[in-house]
Formats: sequence, structure tokens, C-alpha cells
Amino acid sequence: METTAAYISLIPLFPLVGALITGLLHMFTCRSRKLPESVYATLGCIGPLLSLFFAVVVFVHLKGMPAEERFLSHIPFTWFAVGDLRVDMGFLADPLSSLMLLFVTFIGSLIHIYSIGYMAGDDNFGKFFSYLNLFLGAMLILVLGNGPVVMFVGWEGVGLCSYLLISFYSKERDNVLAGNKAFIVNRIGDLGFVLGVSLLFWAIGAGGFDYLSLQANASGLAPAVGIAVCLLLFLGACGKSAQIPLYVWLPDAMAGPTPVSALIHAATMVTAGVYMVARFSFLYVQFPIAGSVVAWVGILTALLAAIFGLFQRDIKKILAYSTVSQLGYMFAGVGVAAYSAGIFHVFTHAFFKALLFLGAGAVIYAMHHQQDIWKMGGLKKKMPKTYWTMLVGALALAGCPPLSGFFSKDEILFSALAKGHTGIWIVGVVVAGLTAYYTFRMIFVVFHGQPRDQHAYDQAQDAPAVMTVPLIILAVGAFFVGFLNLPGIFGGNLQVSHWLAPSLTESHPHVGIGVELLAIFAGVAAFAIGIYIAYRKFNEGAPEPEYQGFARFGYHKFYVDEVYNALFVQPYKAFGGVISRILEPKVVDLPVRLSARLYRWGGNAFKALQVGYVRVYAIYMVIGLSLMSLFLSQSIN
Amino acid sequence: MFEYALSFMIFLPILGGLALLFAPVGRGPARGIGMGIALVVLAMGVELFIGFAATGEMQHVEHRPWSTALGISYSLGVDGISLLVLMAGAVLFPLVYAVFTTREKGFYANLLLVQGAMIGAICATDLVLFYIFWEVMLLPVFFMIGIYGGEQRLPATLKITIYTIAGSLLMLAALIYVGVTHHEQFGFWSFAVADLSALELRGGFTAVAFFMFMVAFAIKIPLFPFHTWLPDAYTEAPTSTTFVLSAIMAKIGVYGVIRFVIPIFDLEFARWAMLLSLAGVAGMIYCGLAAIAQQDIKRLLAFSSASHMGIIAVGVFCMNVQALTGSLFQIAAHATSTGVLFLFVGLMEERMQTRRIDDFGGIAYQAPIFATFFAIAMLASVGLPGTSGFIGEFLIILGAVKFSMPIAILTGTTLVIGVCYMLWMFQRVFFEQAGERSARFQDLKLTEALTFLPVILLIIGMGIFPQAFISKIEPAAQQQVAQFQSSGKSEVAVTAQAAPSRLNHQN
Repeated sequence: METTAAYISLIPLFPLVGALITGLLHMFTCRSRKLPESVYATLGCIGPLLSLFFAVVVFVHLKGMPAEERFLSHIPFTWFAVGDLRVDMGFLADPLSSLMLLFVTFIGSLIHIYSIGYMAGDDNFGKFFSYLNLFLGAMLILVLGNGPVVMFVGWEGVGLCSYLLISFYSKERDNVLAGNKAFIVNRIGDLGFVLGVSLLFWAIGAGGFDYLSLQANASGLAPAVGIAVCLLLFLGACGKSAQIPLYVWLPDAMAGPTPVSALIHAATMVTAGVYMVARFSFLYVQFPIAGSVVAWVGILTALLAAIFGLFQRDIKKILAYSTVSQLGYMFAGVGVAAYSAGIFHVFTHAFFKALLFLGAGAVIYAMHHQQDIWKMGGLKKKMPKTYWTMLVGALALAGCPPLSGFFSKDEILFSALAKGHTGIWIVGVVVAGLTAYYTFRMIFVVFHGQPRDQHAYDQAQDAPAVMTVPLIILAVGAFFVGFLNLPGIFGGNLQVSHWLAPSLTESHPHVGIGVELLAIFAGVAAFAIGIYIAYRKFNEGAPEPEYQGFARFGYHKFYVDEVYNALFVQPYKAFGGVISRILEPKVVDLPVRLSARLYRWGGNAFKALQVGYVRVYAIYMVIGLSLMSLFLSQSIN
Repeated sequence: MFEYALSFMIFLPILGGLALLFAPVGRGPARGIGMGIALVVLAMGVELFIGFAATGEMQHVEHRPWSTALGISYSLGVDGISLLVLMAGAVLFPLVYAVFTTREKGFYANLLLVQGAMIGAICATDLVLFYIFWEVMLLPVFFMIGIYGGEQRLPATLKITIYTIAGSLLMLAALIYVGVTHHEQFGFWSFAVADLSALELRGGFTAVAFFMFMVAFAIKIPLFPFHTWLPDAYTEAPTSTTFVLSAIMAKIGVYGVIRFVIPIFDLEFARWAMLLSLAGVAGMIYCGLAAIAQQDIKRLLAFSSASHMGIIAVGVFCMNVQALTGSLFQIAAHATSTGVLFLFVGLMEERMQTRRIDDFGGIAYQAPIFATFFAIAMLASVGLPGTSGFIGEFLIILGAVKFSMPIAILTGTTLVIGVCYMLWMFQRVFFEQAGERSARFQDLKLTEALTFLPVILLIIGMGIFPQAFISKIEPAAQQQVAQFQSSGKSEVAVTAQAAPSRLNHQN
């Protein structure tokens, strides 16, 4: 069933080597004379492009095989083996990972190219490309790993790169704090992941700890253990993919350069959790209750983040909450066991969200690092390419038919409805309306109406070709990729779902056409209502609103950050302080100090006996001798 | 390797150190001699590692009777259990001589002595011989802290002395008890581990003796709540001594538990494993929390080191192959990562004359190579996959899940606690705005970079190709766990059957 293909191991290796070379070059030259940016740009883009090439080769190779045998595997070496545990450093390309592989390398390459323009002139140009390459390598390990432990290598690796890139402008304290926050919150999730993986090993891992073996043995899993494993793994997903209660790091992560937000914090890394759940579909499908938890957490996150998104004024924060919200949709999809729908939304979302972020980056670039939408306005005339491409992205995000986001979102909502999760479906439709509203609030305020900052407006212009060409490519993608998975009602046959079928354990619901039509109608209606309200309020250049009442509450994100700070961060620090200032020197140390005192007291006490008179010593001797004779006489008897 | 390789590795540094104490040489030559000897030991260690056969057996065995009347013998050997501890003791020392160039002759002599004695303690397979080396290795530490330490060195020395002597005396008493019991049960004197593990220890005093041993080792590890000497000693000691204490000596404490306590006191160990693992976890959390409040970077690393030792101890207490192998691997991994971090701090102190975290800032912009090296060691210390730190931690947590889920969850929190203080420290030292002093911080010179490079490569290499190490230690770990489990079962069986017969006998 498995065919060996050594070159799949090369796919993550190319960017990793690129990272090493650019990193070393930058490390040794940044203090003396700087290398020209073109060197780093070339070296930095070779790796991703090679990976993209081989990703296509893998895809074509798999496509040429019979559907049920679409597995390519390569195991370069055994990573570690202890007792029954055997972990291979192995890579597996199957329909699921090859699809991920394609869009990760494709969008990764595009964003590398875009960054050449965006990062031009930065002191740490080389470092940036090194980190970006490292990220791509780790992400590809995550996607290609043939088992949970190898996945965890990539999982933590992308977390590290996320930290490094969020705190990229490390002279600002807040940026580094945002990076720390991301790393620490992710680690809380990782704790769940490691525990889940360990539990899984002891349950069914002795026969092989890669996905295929686990899948073969999955039926032997006891329900209690299985549910615990699913929930623990999902905790990991909550960290990486920013779901309640661990979503708080993602909005802060926007402190990083915008291409990073597009690549890591929108298109690829944050979708790793969804990928992981889909990867373990053979577990989740056995325990629908765990799936329901996933779905409800997802849809509630979608709702909460969409509400936050309504009130933000920072263009990147709007997109960040939108990402959290869309990730929630994806989890709702995989939670109701519509794995291919969830993964398809990952796929389309990668295009339109990367597009929106890169567009926002072009706007920020043109406005000299202004990110407040209430300082923009009317940019449509000055930046037509950015406007039209972003409009495509916004329509796709809002779910306008027939753009990509419409199909993938519809597939999720339809699956929820068809599988009987009516509550999730209703919330999902509401979120769709909110999404359309906040997306077009952003578009209208930024691009329509009158300029709010005339000086910045006058200087604004479209970015250079190296940045706009990726925008156009992504816009084309965001427009058309939805047609790849056209459902039957539109005359398609769910090609992507069929492609993914061998990797996933899922069943497609069979319901009447009425349900399907209802889902589509509700989605389109939500989109139309949302966009209409946004149009009425913001199209003609609304004034900057005052945040009051609920809006104020929403703008401050329901004060969740403050609550977390008061509940976890401050007590943690206080506890550390108590230990090191009170407990450690005054309490735990007490026995040692007491023993030192005891010696001194003992010494003083004995000193009193040493009076220096012979007659006193004679008395001591008498006492001693009589005690001894008493003891001897006792023991003889 | 030749026949007396282990003896050579033990006594070359010891004799060298003694000679250096009395020989009239200056600092430079003294350091040169130390470096030379350390390199010879390093070469021998590497050769021993490469030639080490992946079986559970003792290798390079040396055995000659010492005191036949008391059954004490001069017995040495290496197996999978001691291999990586030995490597930590043999391989890392040249770094110390390379980094700390301005110490006095006596200091280098003490370093040599401590290395020889530690290798002796690691290789000894006779309990009395182990005890002797154990005591000998402590002496140079007192001198190094007491004579060459920081401002508060005397209280620190006093504290470590009280602790260590208390521990040593307890161990001595327990050792005699074990020896006497062996004589009672088998009719001849012996202190060889292989003989002692056949003992059937039960009854009231056994638990006491067990805890006497455990306390002695717990002090060295250090296990909560016997850790209070550590922050002061680690902080006040010259950084090279801190390196010795944290990278190697602490590991000998864990090693002592695996080598001596578990085989001899298997029943007691099984009975108390839960409590002990709780102590390990408590220490990990407690020291991890304390670390975040530290102002002194060396003190922070001291708490961090203690925190990680708690995890290593938990791995031992879980007593399954994965956790034990994880602990043994982590011993070496922690020696490289934390050891190097201490050396880096020593380097920073020499350049900036300060260890206060607030005095640093922005070093990454001045010294990108140094910052990269530091970051790699730090990431290994927080257990990032791809570095040496991950493998051990993962195996320990995996093993702990088998042992007890609550313990595993608590153990797992190390993933979070570790990054909290480390990233917070890294931010204030390497990022943010450069202060006045750190703006003049010099990057590693080429020679310095080349000195640290092997260890940095080792940290990464152990993370990517751990199997090269694990394949050598795993058979011994298998064997130890199998012995432990079989003896536990048979003991239970024996008690079940033997109890009535003993009653009959008394009747």
C-alpha cells in the first residue's frame, strides 16, 4: 500500500537548508558589512520554490495512482526507539497531506516573493528570510510527518518561528511580549497535545506509532481513553489555532511584519489544528461526543471573534479576529465530522485571507505604517490594484457566491444542518452575517468615501510589482478555487472531497434538496444583510464613531485579556515572588539555619562545662565511671 | 580501549590535580596542564562511547579485592545506566578550562580533583568505593566555593557543608546497615551492587535505611525540599564550579538512585515511588516559579536547573523503560544545555561585570553569534523538538502517563513553566533597547565561537539523531526495569507463601 518516494523527505529540507545558509550569512555579516538584499532574496526564495516544485511532483504522482493506494512514504531514519515505542523520522504524502503541501508551498512561495518588496530596506532583511524559511520547513514537517511525534516537531517548530517573527521588531518591548504570549499560550496547548499523544501510545501505539498503524488499531480504543485523547489533542489545536480559551495570542501576534501575519497567522500555521483533527479523523469519528465539543468550541469562537471584529479600528486586528472566527468555522466543520469541508475551508481561506493581509500590508506600506482604519479613506482611487484585489478577497471572506469562500463556508454550514446540529448551523449563519458586515465595514472605511488624512492620502500609491503580482495571483485563486469542490446542486461532484476521501474517515449525509437549498439561501441572505448594513453605514465616509456601551465592551474584547492577566499572569508572578522573597529564605531554609544554631548552642552549652578546674573534671570522671559500671553490671545480668 | 581505561580516567586527573597543588607552577601552565588532562579524558571518553556495545552488560570491568575481611573491592565498570553520566563527566571539562582563563593554580587543581573523583563515583560498582569517591568529590567543591566564590561565599559554603555532611552521614549509616544485613542473610561480606541487589530487605528499619539513602541523594539532586543550599551555592560559586555542580554532580545524585537505591531497596522504592515523584514534581514547579522572580541571571539558571532535575527524578521514579531511558538521556541533555548556559553567564559576567538581568538588554544586536548560541541552548533547556532537551522530556512525560495521569499532568506543566521564565529573561537580556553597558558587549571571538560550537552541535545532534545514544542505554534500562518488576513480583509471591511458614516456625 505504501510506496517509497525518497524525494518527499527533501520537501521540508530545502527551506531548512535555505534558513541555515541565510541565517549564517546574516549572523556573520550583519555587524560588519551588509550583504546586498538581492543575495538574501535569491537564497531565501530558492528553497520554497523547490519545495513547491516537488509538491507538484508529489501531487501528480499521487494523482496517477489508483485512489485507494495513494500513499507515498519515506523513512530516512529511526528517530528514537525505546521499548515498544518506536518513532521514525518518517514522511507520508497522502491525499490530505499533499493538498496541504500544495497550498502551503504555493502561498509560502508567493509570500516570500512579496516580502522582497515589503521588507526592503530593513536592517534585518537576511534574518527575516532565514526565519521565514525556517518556518516553512517546520510547517512542511508538520504536514508531512507520518505520525503524531513527527508532527509535533513541526508543531513546535512553527511555534518557535511564530515567536521569532512576532518579536521581529524586538526593540519594542510590546512586540516581544506579544511573542512571549504566543509561545507560552501555545505551550499550554502543547501540554495537552503531548499528554494526548502519550495516552494514545499506551492505548494503541505499541503496534506502530504512525497514522496508518494507529488507524489500523484504532478500533481497540476504550471510549474513556479515546475521548480523553481526542479532547487533549484538541487542547493542542486550541493553542495553535487560536480557539477559546487560548485564542488570546493571535490578535497580539499582529505585532509581526505583515507578510508574517499573512503566511503564519492566517494561511498556514494557525490551520495546523484543523489539519491535526482531520488527520485523526479515525479517532474523532469514533467518539461523536468529542467531535461535538470541537464543533461547539469552534462555532462559539467564531461568534465571539466576529463580535470583536465588529469594533476593531486596527486593520490588522480586524483581519486577525476574522481569522480566529474563520478558524472557528473550520473546527465546526471537522467537529461535525465533515472533515473534507473543514479542510476545504482551510484551503480557500488560505487564499483569501493571505490576500487580505497582503493587501492590508500594501495599504499600511502606502500609509507609512498607519494601521488605524479611521485615519484612511478614499484610497480606492490612489491604489486601484490593491482595492480590486482586496475586494475579491473581502467578497470571498464574506461568502459571496460564486467566490471560493461561499462554497467552502456553505459546505460546512450545510453539513452541520444535514447532520442534525441545528444549533451550530444557526450560530454559523449569524456569524456569516457578522463576517460580511465587518469585512465590508473595513473595505468601505478604507477605500471608499473621503480621505481622513489628506497628507497620507496624497502620498499613497500602489506598491511595486513584486508586491502587487502576488496580490493578483492570490485574487485569482480566491475567486476560482471554490469551483474545485462544486457540490452536486451546482453541477459539480465535490472533487476535493473525493480526492481527500482515502485519508479521512467520514460519511456524507444524504438529505433532500430542500435542506441544501435552505442552507444556501440562509448563507446568501446573511451575506446580503451584512453587506447592506455595512454599505448604509460606511459607504459614504462615516465619521469616526465613539465607542460606547456594548461597542466599548466589544472594542476592549470583553476585557478577556485583562481577566486572564488578573487570573493567571499576576498570581503566577506573585507566587514566584512569594517563593523567592518569603518562602525560600524564611521558611524552607529554616531547618538549615536551625541546625547551624543548634551547633552554636551545643557548643556554648559544652563550653560551660569546660570550667578549667581539676576538681570539677574529677567529679565528671566519677560520674562517668559510676554510670559505666552501672551499665556494665546491668548488661552482664 | 586498554584494560585499565577507567582507572586511568579516574586517576589521571586526581594525580594531576595533586601534583599541581604541590608543584611550583604559574597560572598559565596550570591551566595548560588541566586542559591537557581534560582533553585526554575527553578523547578516552569519546573512544569508550564509540566502542561501547549496546548490551545491558557491564563493560570495561575492573575488579580486585581490597579488604577481603569486609568484602570491599575495587570494582569499576560501565553499563548503559552510567554511560551518559560518564560522558557528561568526561566530555565537558575542556570547556571550563577554555572559558575561564584567569583562575589561580589551586583552582585548576581542584577542578582536576573533582573530575577524577566524579568519574570514580560514576564507575564504581562497589558501594563502599562509591561512597569514598562521593566524599572525595565533595571536598574540592567546598574549596572552590569557599576560597574562590563570590561575596556571600561563606554562608553558602556553610550551608552546602551542613547539607552534604548530613547526607553523607546518613548514607554511611545506611550503607553499614545494608552490609550487615547482607552478611546476616548470605553469610559473607560484600558491598558489590550485584550481590546487594539479591538482598531481601524488609522490616521496620528498611524504610529508615531507604530514606537515609534517598535523603543523601535527594540533597545532591536536589529534590524538593532539600534544595535550599542550591540557589546560594550555585550563585556564589565561581561559574565554573556552578557548571560542575549543575552539569555533572547533580546527575550523580540521580545516578546513585538508579544504580544503588533501586536494586537494593526495590520493595521500599515501589512503595514510596508515588510520594517521591510528587516531591520531584513539587520541586520542578516550585523552583520554576521561583525562577521567574529572580533578578540575578545566574540565580535564575540555578532555579531552572533545580526545576529540570525534578523532572529527571520523576522519570526515575516512574520505573518504566521509556521514563528511565528518558531520564538517562535527559541527564546528558541537561548537562549540555544547562552547563553551557552557565558558561555563557560566566562569559557575560566577565565582560560586563554584572549578572543583574536589568543591566543587560539588547545584547542580540551587539552579539548575534553569542545570542544565537545562547538561544539554542535555551531552547534545548525548554525542550524544543530538534534539540537534545525534547527527547528526554517527552519520554519522561510519556512514561509518567503510564505511571499516573495526575503526575503526568503535573510533569507536563514543565513545558509551560520553563518557557515563562526563560523567554522573560531572554527578552530582557537580549532584546529591547540596548543599555549603556550592553552596547559595548563584544561578540564571541572566533576561538570562543569554535570552543562552543561542538557543544551547540551536540545539542542539535542529540535532538536529531538521539537513537545513537538511546540504542546504547536502552538495553540496560530494559534490564533494570525487568529486574525491578520481576523482583517486585517474586517478592510479593514469596511474602504470600512465606508468611505462614514463618509463623509455623515460631510456633
